[in-house]
Parts: sequence; C-alpha cells; structure tokens
Amino acid sequence: MKKSDAWLLALLGLVLLILPFLATGYVLYIVNLLMVYVVLALGLHIVLGETGQFALSHIAFYGIGIYTSGLLNNAFGLNALWLLAASTLTCGIFGFLLGTLAIRMRDIYLALSTFAFGEAMQWVFLNWESVTNGSNGYRLSPIRFFGHVMATDAQAYPFVVVMTALVLAFTVHLSRSRLGSSFRAVRESDVAAQAVGINVNLVKRVAFMFSAAYAGLAGALYTTFSSFIHPESLGFQAMILVLIMVVVGGIGSVRGAITGAIIFGLISELLRQLLSFQEVIYGLVLILFMMFMPKGLLGNGRPLRLKRATRAPDIPGQAPVEEGNTVGVGARRSEQA
Amino acid sequence: MSWSDIWLFLQQGILSGLVSGSIYALLAIAVVTVFKTTDVPNFAQGEIFMVGGYIALFMLLVANAPYWATIIVTLFGVALVTLLFERVALEKVISSRGTPVHMVIATLGLAYVLKGAVRQTGLGDAPRSLPSPISTDVVMIGDAFLTYLDLVIFGVAVTTMALLYVMFNYTRIGKAMRAVGMNARAAQLVGVNLRRVRMAVWALAGLVSAISALLIMPKILITPDIGHIAILAFAAAIVGGIASIPGAVVGGFLIGITENLVGLFVSTNAIVLAPFLAILIVLLLRPQGLLGGKLQVKKV
Repeated sequence: MKKSDAWLLALLGLVLLILPFLATGYVLYIVNLLMVYVVLALGLHIVLGETGQFALSHIAFYGIGIYTSGLLNNAFGLNALWLLAASTLTCGIFGFLLGTLAIRMRDIYLALSTFAFGEAMQWVFLNWESVTNGSNGYRLSPIRFFGHVMATDAQAYPFVVVMTALVLAFTVHLSRSRLGSSFRAVRESDVAAQAVGINVNLVKRVAFMFSAAYAGLAGALYTTFSSFIHPESLGFQAMILVLIMVVVGGIGSVRGAITGAIIFGLISELLRQLLSFQEVIYGLVLILFMMFMPKGLLGNGRPLRLKRATRAPDIPGQAPVEEGNTVGVGARRSEQA
Repeated sequence: MSWSDIWLFLQQGILSGLVSGSIYALLAIAVVTVFKTTDVPNFAQGEIFMVGGYIALFMLLVANAPYWATIIVTLFGVALVTLLFERVALEKVISSRGTPVHMVIATLGLAYVLKGAVRQTGLGDAPRSLPSPISTDVVMIGDAFLTYLDLVIFGVAVTTMALLYVMFNYTRIGKAMRAVGMNARAAQLVGVNLRRVRMAVWALAGLVSAISALLIMPKILITPDIGHIAILAFAAAIVGGIASIPGAVVGGFLIGITENLVGLFVSTNAIVLAPFLAILIVLLLRPQGLLGGKLQVKKV
C-alpha cells in the first residue's frame, strides 16, 4: 500500500467514524447507499477491470442478492450474517454458472448475452408476482444483527461500513494473490495465460463467481438499511451506473472503482429530483470524460481491450471475404495505436 | 385451440411480424454498419430513433409543417445529430487513444443527453402518435388483417434495404464503408479516408433511424423511453451475426415474427422476454450468429 493511500484510508475511516454523530438520517442513507455502490463497483472491477470480461449482468446478481436476503428475512427472520452469507453464496453459484457464457464467447457477444441475462432477470423480478410481489415492489422488514435491530439508516450504518471495509480488504488481498495474477493474465491474453498453465476457463468462471458474490453481498447490505425494493431500479439504467463508476473511475484500479462509485453515486442521488436535467448532465459528463480522460480519474494506464487485437486475420479459404463475414480483423485496431 | 385457429394465428403472426420486423431490420442495419466500421455497438441507437420521432412530432404538431417538409427535416435533423456526435465526440475519443469500450460509453452518454433534451422540451410528457398520412383501412391477406399503413411501412422499409444494398455494392462510398469494415488499415492504405467514412457511416445510421422512426410513428405511441426498441434491433443484429448486414435483415424479420407469434400463442407478457431468450439461445448454439460466417481461429 502506498503511503498516500494509507493516509487517505485513515482520513476516510475517521470521517466515517464521526459522521453518525453529526449527520442526519438522510445523509447516513446516502452514505449507506454509497457503500453499497462501492461493493458493487468492486465486484464489477473484478470481472471487468481485473479479468477483462465485459459482463453486463452485475445488477441482475444485485437483484438476486436483494430478493434472497429480503425473502429469507421476511420468512425466517435470520441473523444479518446468515442473510449476507446466503445472498453471497446464491449469487456466487449463479455467477459461476453464468461464467459458462464467458467460455463460449467474448467481447461484444459476451456483453450482449450477459445483458440479455440481466434483462431476463429483471423480467423475472417484475413478473414472478407470488414471490417478488411484481411491479408493486417488495417490502423489506428490518433485519436483526444478533440482538441489534436495524430499522433505520443510523442503526444499519456501522454494520454496512464494517462490511464494506472487509470487502475492500478482501479485494486488495485477492488482487495480490495468485488468483489475482491469473485474472490479469487472462485479461492480457487468454491464449498466453493458457500457455503458462493457467486454467483459463476455470479462472473466467471464478472471476464471474466472485463478481456475482460481491453483487449479492451488496444486495444483502442494501436490505439492511432499506425497507423497499422495486424491480424498476434493477434494470439497465443501474447497470450503466455501475459500469460508469468503474470505467470513469479508472478501469483496472481499485482506487478508481471506489472513487467512481462515490462520485457517480452522489451525482445520481443529488440529481434524482431533476430527471431531464440529470440525464443531460450525466450524458455530457460521460461524453466529455471519454473525450478528454478516457483512462478515467485514477486509471493505471492499461487500457481495457475488447481483445479484437488477438484475433488472427482472415485465413484464406476459411472465412469467405464477403460482405459481413469478417468478425474480427487483427489490423483493424492498429489504426488507433 | 383448433387447427384452423393455429393456421390463422400463424398467418397473422407472420404478416404482422414482417411489418414490425422490417423496422427492427432497419435499426439493426444501422447498428451493424456502425459496428462494422467503428467497432462501436451504438447504445444510443434507440435514442437516435426516438429523436427522429420527436422531430417529426414537433414539425407536424407544433410547427404545423406539411408532411413532405416534416420528412425532409426529420431525415436531415437526425443525420446531423449523429454526424456531429461522430465528428465532435467520437473522433476525439479515437484520437485520445480510446478503445471501443470508451466509445461505447460515449454513445451511452449521447443516449442520456438525447433523452434528457427531449424531456426538457416537454413534448414527451404524454405519449403521442403522428397522424397517419396513409389510410389505416383494413386489408385482408389470406385470413390475416393488416392495414394499408402496414403495407406502406413494409414496402418503404424493403425499398430502403434495396437502396442500401445498391449503395454498398455499387457506389464508391458504399464500397469504402465495406472495405473499412473488413480491414480498416488496408482500406486506409489503398486511399480510403477513414474519418470521412466514419462520418458517412454515422450519418447513414442517423438517416436509416429517421426513416424507421417516420415509418413506425403513425402506428405506435411514442415516449422518451421508446429507445428500448433498440434492444430488439440489437437482438436482431446478434441473431443474424453482428457483423453481417444480410444477417441484420434476417434477424430483424425473425425477431419481429417470433415476437408476434409468442404474443399470439403464449401471452403478451412473454413478448418482452422472447428476444432475450433468442439472443441467449443463438449465442450459445452459434456464437457468431446465423449469418456470421465461420468462427475464426485466434492466435496470440
């Protein structure tokens, strides 16, 4: 850890420590929400930033996490830790399974099929009325953490903050582990990764698993302080928000993901009242960032590739060079390089 | 459900599917041409289409312009929006070494800007529709009901596709676009101006979006969120193989027909889900799409 990082963390910790004594419920709600965004962004960071897999299914897992935790709590009134574990595990399993997609396809195809999964999940949330109460939204009753009932934002705040800190610590640990190196090796080139003995298919699945587990945990955290969830808020819009956090924050960087989560979480919350205005500002911020700071606020300078560059050029006799038949051509990107 | 019912539903589903499918096919062509030449899955496609609808609405209902003027202004207006976006934003992203991911996010930004701008005008507060210039009397084809408007939609859409075919195969700019789509660098080496081709492609995408907006607007109610329709265009593009224009057309018709058949045979509730299932299934079984050619071998 760099020294400046340690100072920043200490400062952040101090602010978070004294905040509940100064701030009102609404501010604490925002902070709780930002913590959830941080966990979500870190999860997307693992699959997108570290492993380079363009997955747009994150919010679907977030939704599964929310409903898992909410349903279990409403039915059995379990301890918050059990709910967290249940959501994390459920989503981890789903994520591992969805990782199969990443073995079959890549880039834009992966993006669109995971996107399709996200839309399908939102449809399930909206239409499985006997379980999720459909478009009326689902009420979440307060969650217990041992004897402590978390009915308000202030009561849930310490729990949310501590959990987020643990997730952050785990993320840093993960990225320094052997597995973290494998993630990055797969991002740079899966063929080269395979050549040095990395089980690429397994690593991709594990990356999906971790990413989904993070989203599930974020969902469970959300249920600790929120009392209501509507499927409308689990759609593509939310997915884009998290994607923006990771990309504008600086793709491939933990600091970037956190910064992005805080900044864009705040922007989206503050401009919530002014919908049309929010959209214009939001869009302009995105376009301008991409125009002038494509590496993001705190990017580590390694651009995420859609990996088309690793495709071989047409092999004669294999793919007819006819209109529309060339899927990926090696030389295409070098024009920009 | 008796056999005669099934036969009736099949006819109705396929014919209505061809009509809505022709719009999806047009939008999918816009997505595919942009994707082929600039490597960008244009996530603002739906909003570009939506803006076309609102420009037409503004011209007809607020400015009281005649229909021919509305058509001209809509076509040029939308093409101008996409052209400017490419020239001002995307060229800058490319020159600051942005990858396709960054360009995708820029298109998302455009989507937000367009949607917010339309909301700001207040035109989008209530769902509206264009008055139809063509009679909406019913025509019977076989046992299925269509309207004259449906026939015109289908006819104009297919004509547009034919014109695009001619453009891509017999004009210089069309051939240049295809060349860039196959291998940008080689195209540049033989003298194709990449910037000009990219601008032309975006303008073309705008034009095609405007045409489809003008066609379908008298038939549906439009809101600022109508951009969702682009999901179907993407579905069509993927089903056909995202880098194949004939694939986009086939995919568009397939999605349109599937949607209508699911609506008739299963439930209207399941319509929303059908295209996504189609995407998932096609990608799992044939990742390159129906007309996507053979998968290519990858090397380091």
